[in-house]
Amino acid sequence: MLFFSYFKDLVGREVTVELKNDLAIRGTLHSVDQYLNIKLENTRVVDQEKYPHMLSVRNCFIRGSVVRYVQLPPDGVDVELLHDATRREARGG
Amino acid sequence: MTMGLRPYTQRTGNGLGSPSFDVDQGEVLMHVLPAVGIVFDNRPPEFPGTLYISSRQVVWLSDVIMAKGYAVDFLSMSLHAVSTDPEAYTSPCLYVQIDTGDDEELENSDSECHGEESENFDLAAVREMRLVPSNPNELETLFEIFCQCAELNPEPTGDEEEEEHNWFFGADQLEQMPGLSVAGDDEEQFSSIPPSSIGHSNGDHDQLARTVLQLQINDRRFEDADEMEPENNGKHC
Repeated sequence: MLFFSYFKDLVGREVTVELKNDLAIRGTLHSVDQYLNIKLENTRVVDQEKYPHMLSVRNCFIRGSVVRYVQLPPDGVDVELLHDATRREARGG
Repeated sequence: MTMGLRPYTQRTGNGLGSPSFDVDQGEVLMHVLPAVGIVFDNRPPEFPGTLYISSRQVVWLSDVIMAKGYAVDFLSMSLHAVSTDPEAYTSPCLYVQIDTGDDEELENSDSECHGEESENFDLAAVREMRLVPSNPNELETLFEIFCQCAELNPEPTGDEEEEEHNWFFGADQLEQMPGLSVAGDDEEQFSSIPPSSIGHSNGDHDQLARTVLQLQINDRRFEDADEMEPENNGKHC
């Protein structure tokens, strides 16, 4: 549940979600659930020339299983905190 | 499980009929919306029809042609979004991306642009679907229902979480790695590593796991070359 808690802390921030089909969508993280399904608001497609028909969708639901990467705001990444959290999670504690 | 879009022909009841859902397996009808058009990829819209959303799938049935209907499982829907920009599509719609289970990129959708006249297009290759309600105010509701239902349908992969505890995560764990321990019950420890324990989320897990096992085997060979048995190499790959 580590990533779930982590992403919940990022709600309201700008992220870029890259899908396994290479589509990348930037938007404000609205919510995330336990399966890492992601809801974005005020979205825009990063490569607008390749995906013109997706130019502007207001809100967007992305299935967790099709996400390849999530690009985070740099100041949303506390490396020390994540180190500790991953160690704890891995030990099952 | 069928990936992607499929024809739906199992109407039940009188008149135009309605879809029959697998109630025994817990499938529940969540929402019905009349007067909805449906558009696949760059094909012309089909209209009018009625949209049935169950806890497992979305079914669209034509109001005109009894034999015409389409269905797609929530498991196959990668993304859905409310599209209101006239430049993206002329009418406000719910835009849905469909995972066909086929990784060949975009070749299919290109060829479909040329074959618009044909009634017999390949449903299973459709990657985009637009649902166009005649009343655009329905879109937000539709979006939320799709969200709820997507969450009811997580990937059917069972007990991943337990396996993930086998991740290798720190220098202090090195001594406990099977590949570095001395002879004895090595075999048992090897087989306790699930093949997907490393590189799991990337889809390349077989390749990665093999590389890692290979490394461990090599390490072990350096440790006690004397006890190395030839058949051990192949056994665990």
